[in-house]
Amino acid sequence: MKRYLYLSLSPEALISSMLPPEDFGIYVATGTKKRTRGQALFFEVNQEVVKDQLPLEYIERRCVPQEGGRPKSSVYLSIYRVLESIPLKALQKLYLVTDDGRVLGLSQGNYVPSEKKELHLYQELCPVTPRIASTLAPLEFVQSITGGKEKVSVPRLAFVELQMDDLATDPEHGKAANLPYQNIPHLRDCLLILKNEEGKDKKTIIRFFNRDLFYRTIKNGFFVGDKDELLYYPFPSISELEEKHYPWWRSANTMGFH
Amino acid sequence: MNSIFWLIPICSLLALGFAFYFFKNMMKNSEGTPRMIEIAQYVREGAMAYLKRQYSVVTLVFAVLFVLFVILAFMGVQNPFVPIAFLTGGFFSGLSGFLGMKTATFASARTAHGASQSLNKGLQVAFRSGAVMGLVVVGFGLLDIAIWYWVLNYIYDSNIFGLGLKIAQGLGLSGAEVGWSDAFVGNAEWLHAKMVHITTTMLTFGMGASTQALFARVGGGIYTKAADVGADLVGKVEAGIPEDDPRNPATIADNVGDNVGDVAGMGADLYESYCGSILATAALGAAISLNHGVFDEKAILAPMIVAAIGIVFSIVGIFMVRTKETATAKSLLNSLLIGTAGSSVLILIAIAVMAYFGWFGWGIFGSVVAGLIAGIVIGQGTEYYTSDGYKPTRGIAHQALQGPATTIIEGMAVGMYSTWIPVVTIVMGIIAAYGFAGGFTDFSLGVYGIGFAAVGMLSTLGITLATDAFGPIADNAGGNAEMAELPKEVRERTDALDMLGNTTAATGKGFAIGSAALTAMALLVAYMEEVRLWLGKVPELGAKFLEVTGATSLSTATIDDFINFYHLNLFNPLLIAGLFLGSMMAFVFCAMTMKAVGRAAGAMVDEVRRQFREIPGILEGTSIPEYAKCVEISTKGAQREMLVPSILAIAVPVVVGLIFGVSGVVGLLMGALVTGFALAVMLNNSGGAWDNAKKYIEKGNYGGKGSDAHKAGVVGDTVGDPFKDTSGPSLNILIKLMTMVSVVMSGVTVAFSLL
Repeated sequence: MKRYLYLSLSPEALISSMLPPEDFGIYVATGTKKRTRGQALFFEVNQEVVKDQLPLEYIERRCVPQEGGRPKSSVYLSIYRVLESIPLKALQKLYLVTDDGRVLGLSQGNYVPSEKKELHLYQELCPVTPRIASTLAPLEFVQSITGGKEKVSVPRLAFVELQMDDLATDPEHGKAANLPYQNIPHLRDCLLILKNEEGKDKKTIIRFFNRDLFYRTIKNGFFVGDKDELLYYPFPSISELEEKHYPWWRSANTMGFH
Repeated sequence: MNSIFWLIPICSLLALGFAFYFFKNMMKNSEGTPRMIEIAQYVREGAMAYLKRQYSVVTLVFAVLFVLFVILAFMGVQNPFVPIAFLTGGFFSGLSGFLGMKTATFASARTAHGASQSLNKGLQVAFRSGAVMGLVVVGFGLLDIAIWYWVLNYIYDSNIFGLGLKIAQGLGLSGAEVGWSDAFVGNAEWLHAKMVHITTTMLTFGMGASTQALFARVGGGIYTKAADVGADLVGKVEAGIPEDDPRNPATIADNVGDNVGDVAGMGADLYESYCGSILATAALGAAISLNHGVFDEKAILAPMIVAAIGIVFSIVGIFMVRTKETATAKSLLNSLLIGTAGSSVLILIAIAVMAYFGWFGWGIFGSVVAGLIAGIVIGQGTEYYTSDGYKPTRGIAHQALQGPATTIIEGMAVGMYSTWIPVVTIVMGIIAAYGFAGGFTDFSLGVYGIGFAAVGMLSTLGITLATDAFGPIADNAGGNAEMAELPKEVRERTDALDMLGNTTAATGKGFAIGSAALTAMALLVAYMEEVRLWLGKVPELGAKFLEVTGATSLSTATIDDFINFYHLNLFNPLLIAGLFLGSMMAFVFCAMTMKAVGRAAGAMVDEVRRQFREIPGILEGTSIPEYAKCVEISTKGAQREMLVPSILAIAVPVVVGLIFGVSGVVGLLMGALVTGFALAVMLNNSGGAWDNAKKYIEKGNYGGKGSDAHKAGVVGDTVGDPFKDTSGPSLNILIKLMTMVSVVMSGVTVAFSLL
């Protein structure tokens, strides 16, 4: 049975599995007994690129079919500082899993920065998870966070830019009717500080992100990178989602209570 | 018998003929892909399984009541025709529900497939399939009335069972003491008395329709919400599965529920109102058919004739509903409005023509106009308070920003507030109908006008019910399109049809409660006609009545005589006791149906959880859930839970009659009518407003989908589900059924009451 290697972003972990990405997504979202549910984000990792880093003997021993020949669902290989230790070139598709286990695979694309001057809202996903408002565009933002020049930094960062509608250009009066974020007045305050305070380029909106990501709020796509390199995984447009990935999109828009 | 009578059975057969024609035409359309056929088959099987079980329970109840009526008839306190009339009323109502459901479940996939060609094609399939329900309801309803009218006339005119002679003897006609004479048939007094007997007898067949409607509405309401809430709680909320996702084991039960509640339930409800209003008005017409010694059958036949003409214009209206192939959602609504408004205008012209030729006075024309305007105003009032285009519903959405508690408070307040439009409208409608018909100088003419207002409102039921039944068909078509994963443009079209169905359903509910109030009002007055009849059959009471009131005879006694004899005033503690009990009944009945939904939904939740746990591959989409099991659970739950509230609704008027007598019954019916009407409006509109407030948030307001406001909106919508789809609509039936039971059991009340 083929083995796969996954880098999970929530929580950060390196996992060996006999399940292909779609089945692995269902497994992490709903569990074996289907008594649980929850969103998941993970990369498929090219094992050839990282084979020197892997505990191959352990994988050989543990990641084996279960009773009755069922494929092994998961063998955790590491749960600490994983993202920074996996070379970016090993990262393949990024998979977005909904609460009920619908899986959407995103391929890498080219990021073309917008020339429009506006404010940005970033949800950091791994290794830390605050939500940050910033004047910096994604490329500058990741360089700022991972460059090592700041007091507070990380070696590598996975994050996603979120929609802000009119708040991106007019934080004081801009419409925010379709933004499902908690405490919009606080967001406006933070954006106004960024807009008005010279030299301030980042402001924490939420210190610890403990809720699911609303896929519908993704502005352009996912980013993962460091000061040297940035990978971009464009998120499909709504019309593309409705036409080509409708079951996933419907599931992504279904809201349950946690 | 007036030869124009034959127009009534002809028009009812015409309705059935066109229903068959529309059904056959619908069946010619393709059901689409194998997946669409498979899904439609699941829903069809579920719907039929539900109906089979419901009819088996209803048959049992009917059998018990039949035996009871036979015993009462042998005791001389029940009309001997009632047991049979009761059965036929129930049978035709049940048959209408069966055919309507059958058509709706055949139509959903065909509508979805039609929508894949064009919006207009989808509309045509769904609307004409809904028209089958509308036409079988009016067709069978009027056919049953026509058959009974003819049969009873034949029985009395031919003196079968000695009934004709009995009337002659009661009137003291010369020669009657010797035996039957054909000459009696030409006697105005005899004809009048015969018609009073016939119309009050026919009135009792409404109880069969009422009982059937009770089970259809209450059982259907419990079923649909148990399935819906159960499917949502585990599927959407707990497991995160979207609505109409084939992986949810309860999704088929949910789709079946749309048909059970909104097709069979609504159909049976309006069947009852339709027949009840015609029969009550005919009974009131019989009371005024003797004028200065001249008998005129027109007042009795007129409501039936108007209903018959209404069938023709409903069919014309149905053919008027068509749009271009490039139709938008707005033009769809316009085309439906053209159909319904067109048939209403035509019926008004017909009534004006009848008034011109002396079938009734112009005052009755005014009464019908009052009824029609009342129906439109109530519908628009419902639209105002439940549509997200207006302040009340948007206000609920705004309150959702504060959380679920304020969402509930605001929704309750909106529902309570919303009662003013229907209540004021019905008050004005009743007074206008009463006044136009001459009620301020002659009570009998006034109440005849109120009855006619209901008849006018329901005369185009063929098309108005078509617009109601269209809703669940479009809803199921949307479900079919989702489950079969049809292309985006098809789903957009079925969504447009579904939205149109939601709009027509909201106004339809206002129409149903408005007509129920007017019908119940007419039935309440007809109840006094039954009391008059039974007083004549209990000699000592009849004599006492004449002695106390000073009336010369029972047949000429006025409403004031009855008010005096039974102390029908607000200072009579028996009447006040009845008022309190009637008011309480509305609330207790609601509580029972709501708790029933909670229990039945709980069983559904357990079953869905079990399937997820025990059947591998459901969420992966590699194995099919046991849909039938969920349908069975919802069906069993609904049948079990509907029995107690249903029996209560039947038993209370009898018990109150036995203890508190006629004045207690009048109080009970009045209390139930005024409280039940306001409560039903409140429940329907709160539920509708919560639903649309949630949808308004989902459109991208107050944070949109996934926001905290949305979660509060979902809580409001879930609370509102049994409000608008179970308890609220069931109150229509409670109001009418209690009146009907009182009418049928009036002999027992008159003869055996303790106080």
